[in-house]
Amino acid sequence: MSEQPVLSVQGLSGGYSINRPVLHDVTFQVEPGEMVGLIGLNGAGKSTTMKHILGLMNPQKGTIQVQGKSRSEHSEAYHSALAFVPESPLLYEEMTVREHLEFTARSYGVSREDYETRSAQLSKMFRMEEKMDSLSTHLSKGMRQKVMIMCAFVARPSLYIIDEPFLGLDPLGIRSLLDFMLELKASGASVLLSSHILSTIENYCDRFIVLHRGSIIAQGTLKEIQDQAGRPGMSLEELFNVLIQDGKGE
Amino acid sequence: MNLRELYVKRRGQFWGEILPYLGYVIQSGVAVVFLFLLIAFAAWYTALLQQVPPDLPIRWIMLIFLVPLMINSSIRTYLRTADTVFLIPQESRMKEYFRKAWFSGVFYKIIGLGLVLLILWPLYIRSDASPKTLLATFAVLTVFKLLSSYGSWKEQLMVSRNAAAAYRVFRWIVPALSLAAWLWHPTGRALLFMALLGLTYVAALSVPVKHLVAWERLIAVEQRQASRVMMVLSWFVNVPQREQRVHARKWLSGWGKGLAWKKESAYRFLLIKSLTRSDILGILIRVGLLGAFIVWATRDSLVSALVYLISLMIVGLQLSALRKLHPESFWLHVYPLPEGTRRDNEGKLIFQVQLFWAVLLWLPLVPGILSAPGRILGTMAAGIAVVFLFRSAAARKSRREDDDDE
Repeated sequence: MSEQPVLSVQGLSGGYSINRPVLHDVTFQVEPGEMVGLIGLNGAGKSTTMKHILGLMNPQKGTIQVQGKSRSEHSEAYHSALAFVPESPLLYEEMTVREHLEFTARSYGVSREDYETRSAQLSKMFRMEEKMDSLSTHLSKGMRQKVMIMCAFVARPSLYIIDEPFLGLDPLGIRSLLDFMLELKASGASVLLSSHILSTIENYCDRFIVLHRGSIIAQGTLKEIQDQAGRPGMSLEELFNVLIQDGKGE
Repeated sequence: MNLRELYVKRRGQFWGEILPYLGYVIQSGVAVVFLFLLIAFAAWYTALLQQVPPDLPIRWIMLIFLVPLMINSSIRTYLRTADTVFLIPQESRMKEYFRKAWFSGVFYKIIGLGLVLLILWPLYIRSDASPKTLLATFAVLTVFKLLSSYGSWKEQLMVSRNAAAAYRVFRWIVPALSLAAWLWHPTGRALLFMALLGLTYVAALSVPVKHLVAWERLIAVEQRQASRVMMVLSWFVNVPQREQRVHARKWLSGWGKGLAWKKESAYRFLLIKSLTRSDILGILIRVGLLGAFIVWATRDSLVSALVYLISLMIVGLQLSALRKLHPESFWLHVYPLPEGTRRDNEGKLIFQVQLFWAVLLWLPLVPGILSAPGRILGTMAAGIAVVFLFRSAAARKSRREDDDDE
């Protein structure tokens, strides 16, 4: 019997208006220990897909399950199983970096000992040790983004939803993030990652989902997508251009 | 670009957002309570005027009530973050924009100052041995109000924040000394002193280096002022909250650390941090100190009980704004907080903080407990009853909102 997927999206259609859905019959899965890249042009539906997974939008059609549980039936267990890093940092102005981590750890039911160990490790990894007691208003944009990443990682759920994580990060921050994602992956966690920096994620993701105008036009490993496009040996960036220009899915 | 028109348009947009809520404010029960308090104050004040105590320190009373109003000089600019891109090319012409803002900001405050002066006037002329004339006093207040507003504006533009802080102190001292001179000294000598002081202050204001337009500071101040308007409205009706000013208050950073480490108290942790660093706590402290002082000053009469209860109601109203801080918070939708803990934590924290204030405000009455135990213990009991009333009213409101959501 195959292992249950961490994230299962089946026949998802949805958007801001019933008459004009943004997503059309989107189906994909993320397996345990897998890192999946969600790629597409601006407005392709990547963020809308993530909002549906997070429960910020309700599907017009289709189902979403995390660890085999739907949000409507097991809200707390559903949300406990995932953590999110948004494209733009969303921080509480009135809390310090340390307090953000503590609030996240408390919300996810992380034990105090684990919180302390993880928070020390993350602050060192992202070079935020001196900023731990600074209010978020006193942080640069890159530092604010690091806080978002640290909050997600302090929770240690089984699924990470990460939207454009590299925006605003310095080169060392990007390296730390990628290394840590590999570490999490090795420990069995799964990542659904959206990014426009295709040359970077090509080397890190196991599979890719190409979204165009709200529909999946290709998905699979790099090799499988190369085969689907009939372009063996092409880089992800070149493949993406070919797929979009061919106008598949229109 | 007509900057004057732009200002008028933005002011219209802001108040266009606010006006629809005013109907709800008038209809709300709290507005009736305020009206009742106003009538009670009018009755008490009329009685006081009929029998003015012989040794009333009227000059100090005038000083205490009028100086803060002379100094308060917030100016609404309605500037927005995007202005740092789109209005910067107009920087050299922004005087047109700010002139209108400055006039609007000062004009209504002078009217308010005049109203307070009119209310105090009957008491002043009955109590003071050698009262000044009303018109001359109003003229003095107006001149120093204008001077204070000018000083406040210049402070915003100063490059050095330390210099601005020092000038802020001058801005308090100059009107206070001037009004004191006017109330305590003969007219001629007082006018000479005020003229010298005012001219020195104006000359001193020209010394520090200033920005032509302090964009980021003005935008931050504007956001703070807009959020205060929304906070006051939120006492009466549900309004969208704007970003509040954050105060570091390091001395309180330990509050919340001792909370039980469990999911159920996660939201309480957030609320404590929000309260610790919000404007709300600043207002609570001011109400607490002022209320406790007046309770102590009137400890031998029933007025102390009235002041105690009014202060406690103001504390309750302020605390109710805590419920509006995170209604649409993104992370509260995403994080796995146990169902129902938000309402529970809000209710408990607000109740406990109000109860704490009920005890603090009551403490100035404790030394007299042996001489009037019934009145002083009764005051405490009434205070606790007010706290419970606030809690049950808030719980009813929450249930109603939950029913509406469903």
